[in-house]
Amino acid sequence: MYLLRRATFGPTPDQGKAFAGQTAAQVVAKLLADQPVPTPPLDLATSKTFHDLPFDSTNAGKLNLYVKYWWSNVMLNQPVSLLEKMTLFWSNHFVTNDATVNDYRFMYRYNALLRQHALGSFKIFTIAMTQDPAMLRFLNGNQNVVGTANENYARELQELFTTGRDGGYTETDIREAAKVLTGWADTGYRDTTNAAIGSTFRANRHDTTDKKFSAAYKNATIKGRTGADAGLAELTDLVDILLANPETPRYICRELYRWFVNYDIPETIETNFIQPLANLFRQSNFELKPVMSALLQSQHFFDETVRGAVIKSPMDLVIGTFRFWGLQAPDPAQSTTNLTAYYQIGNYLYSRAKEQQQDLLNPPTVFGWTAYYLNDYYQQWINSTTLGLRGFFADALTTNALKLNGKLTVDVLAYAKTLSDPTDPTKLVNEAVTQLLGIPLDQSQKDFLIDTVLLSSIPRYEWIIEWNDYIKAPNDSAKRQAVQMKLTAFIQYIFRMAEYQVS
Amino acid sequence: MKRRNFIQLAASSLALPVLIDGFGAKAFARQSSFVQSLINLADQSDRVLVIIQLQGGNDGLNTVIPLDQMSVYTGANFRKNIAISETKALKLKNYAATGLHPAMTGMQQLFNEGKLSIVQGVSYPTPNFSHFRASDIWMTAVDSSQTAFSGWAGRYLDKRFPEFPDKYPTAQMPDPPAIQIGYVTATTLLSPTDSMAIVLQDPDTFARLVGDKPNAPATTLTGYVGKQVEFIRQQQASSVSYAGQIKTAATKGKNLATYPASNTLAAQLKIVARLISGGMQTKVYYLTMGGFDTHATQVVTTDTSTGTHATLLKTLSDAILSFQTDLAQLKVEDRVVGMTFSEFGRRAISNGSFGTDHGTSAPMFLFGSAIKTPIVGKNPNLSDLDNNNLKMQTDFRQVYSAILTDWFGTDDTTEAAALFKDFSVAPVFRQTVTDTEPVASELRLYPNPASSELTLESSLLGQGIATLEMADMQGRFMSVTTSRSTATSVRVNVGHLPMGNYILRVETPQGLLSKRVMIAR
Repeated sequence: MYLLRRATFGPTPDQGKAFAGQTAAQVVAKLLADQPVPTPPLDLATSKTFHDLPFDSTNAGKLNLYVKYWWSNVMLNQPVSLLEKMTLFWSNHFVTNDATVNDYRFMYRYNALLRQHALGSFKIFTIAMTQDPAMLRFLNGNQNVVGTANENYARELQELFTTGRDGGYTETDIREAAKVLTGWADTGYRDTTNAAIGSTFRANRHDTTDKKFSAAYKNATIKGRTGADAGLAELTDLVDILLANPETPRYICRELYRWFVNYDIPETIETNFIQPLANLFRQSNFELKPVMSALLQSQHFFDETVRGAVIKSPMDLVIGTFRFWGLQAPDPAQSTTNLTAYYQIGNYLYSRAKEQQQDLLNPPTVFGWTAYYLNDYYQQWINSTTLGLRGFFADALTTNALKLNGKLTVDVLAYAKTLSDPTDPTKLVNEAVTQLLGIPLDQSQKDFLIDTVLLSSIPRYEWIIEWNDYIKAPNDSAKRQAVQMKLTAFIQYIFRMAEYQVS
Repeated sequence: MKRRNFIQLAASSLALPVLIDGFGAKAFARQSSFVQSLINLADQSDRVLVIIQLQGGNDGLNTVIPLDQMSVYTGANFRKNIAISETKALKLKNYAATGLHPAMTGMQQLFNEGKLSIVQGVSYPTPNFSHFRASDIWMTAVDSSQTAFSGWAGRYLDKRFPEFPDKYPTAQMPDPPAIQIGYVTATTLLSPTDSMAIVLQDPDTFARLVGDKPNAPATTLTGYVGKQVEFIRQQQASSVSYAGQIKTAATKGKNLATYPASNTLAAQLKIVARLISGGMQTKVYYLTMGGFDTHATQVVTTDTSTGTHATLLKTLSDAILSFQTDLAQLKVEDRVVGMTFSEFGRRAISNGSFGTDHGTSAPMFLFGSAIKTPIVGKNPNLSDLDNNNLKMQTDFRQVYSAILTDWFGTDDTTEAAALFKDFSVAPVFRQTVTDTEPVASELRLYPNPASSELTLESSLLGQGIATLEMADMQGRFMSVTTSRSTATSVRVNVGHLPMGNYILRVETPQGLLSKRVMIAR
């Protein structure tokens, strides 16, 4: 369960059952298995795809949101796989945002690219991302031309995407890399006539001089080239020298560690975990699967000291909570009714995470979300307001006020019936907290949950009577409500517990 | 005296290095913040600082325009493609050499009313070009070679409210020390152990969101998970304990001025004004405005006074004007100052994409009725660049020092602890005398220290003396007798004054003379 909580957004009840008792190796094999490409988003107005049509300026805002709702649902509905958690990781690494890019087709294509390479070769990924039209717009690669270089992408490529800030590169390396990258441009941006979007290399805007790098890159020189293939040839050389910097694999492995394991990387972890993982990354020619396989099966990953060290991101919390209760989005292709419900659910997931400060496809800056780089890391997700919103989100699921796809979200009575012995408040609470919380509670906390939260200080045997009364007359609304309200208060309390916010 | 080493500051920041360490007429008529800080008046406890972070690195050179160097500024190899034309730049009262971006009419008005100060060329030695690292440096107030995990305002508030949040709220401090409007807690507000801030988006819904007091059983968890759980619980507890206070202040408070619509910063400032007028005791408010990373098309190519950057500056300027107007109408104007900062300025030379890449020094703005010096420093010298970057004049920590010392009345030890070092104070809240005044060599005061009599010599005295005042460091006027020995000197009898430091201030038709005097025997 721990493995699934960290490597995915949390299992559905069925997945939890199916994977119970399997070894880490078996689960990891499943997590890394190739997945089909998800069906692209549909336009509610036409029930047809829209990413492959000319830009629709009238409906652009709406269609942009559909992409976000759609991705939320892909996460919600995914089988046991590492893929979507990795796709989200890369959207926090190779950052672009829809506020700047401002073409929903570009954002869809960018998102698809993240998914395509999420578990592939980091080298090929970096080369492809550099040419991605959304990225070319976001970091002004499209404006970087010979004579008037725009250094934005060249800087972030080194500082954030590959070498990292400790890679020892110089301002000269920024300028030289910018020269290597001259000449690229996106195509089809907000084109209302033609559907095609992509990128192109304009040889006449390329800086054909030799580019000389500092000692950080072993004083490498990238030979200036001419012609239509010059851009890709020099870019490939550039990515090779960036990846040859010993800091690059360490930097990427640290990011993965902070995403999947823990924020804190003391010297011992750096030496005994990051460095060996980085060596493996390099030896595997920057393939990501071997690294993730090793990370998720390492002894350290399962170590008690890192359990509960991660504060759930808003997506973890929102998607994970939905999945726990078995809530899924219906197949949008089946009917318009389904498509409507599909976007209602996607909208709900997306909006809750956004108000908790995780706006999909729109990280606040090129650094991504602050929880993965700023002081105190995951604690960045938590403040008075976001904590309130987290609680508010969970309250809404249990109050029966919210109906998604015409259905209640959380049925606490049905849930209690899935437990081994709902007549026994001790067993009920023990089992529920084991399922809902990633970390164990001690006895005094459990007693508090039983006696104070669930039973409001009435004796425990009273629960048996109340529950059995309800079971005997399930349609008696008074008897039903008596246990339902108690269970609702209990589940709401758990949702608001600090322990529910960590994984 | 190191931190008040005005001559050193003057040399680094003023064209004609005459920065007289006195207090102007205004200071004595109505006690200046500096005087107040010296005597540490109790009413400083209600002073408020509003910090506005401009995320992304604001282009200072298109914000504050060097009208005295337009030929360089608009040059083909400089900023031709994005330059603001001299005719469009907004003029500033008494400062013909400096203009504001045409979108900043609100801040122009505040400047002309004496409520806005521009600190020119703010940066730090060996600047960093990374958004991430540079923001950290500004927020934590470290040297660029060092790191820290707490913020400057957080450390100050931690000294002022020790053992927050455990022992708070108290009767003296019923409210959170800092409030951040918006998103994740800024590093600026972190103390060495805790966040000093409550983060909220909307005071009206805050109490409802936070809910009732959590009655959580104690945790026995240790290690990382123990740390995270403890942190979340503490956040829950402080939000619950402050929710009622914030709600009360929000209900009691009001806005009297009209704020511009669809202006995200104005919406945040509106909340701040309302909370202040509602009686919140909070000392620091923190707001954020993004979008300043203008690598490309910061201007519209056909009209450089419009475009992305213009929209940003208009948003900023309109919001600040409406806020200041509101504070004045709410009669709390004298309690509040504001400050803007950005992690860096941008390259002096524009790029080919009608934008600017990451640079170094840039102006900072401070606003409020306590402002004394309209412009600290001078226009950056566009002909003296460092790798295409503008040279630094004032360290950003000198501005923080001004806020801590002159605005919050912090003592030297606390100030140095908050900033890790002792910095000379940027004279934002002190009256300074600049190029309209005589240069230092034209003024002689001797002997200094004096025991019975001292002589002030200056050619300015030839036109006569309007007033002559002697004041002690508490701002109290001393009665002194004077005599004129020559046309360009005056003798002052100080034999009856107790030992200590004094300010001698002489007004003449040609300008003001002011000098610190020490009486010693």
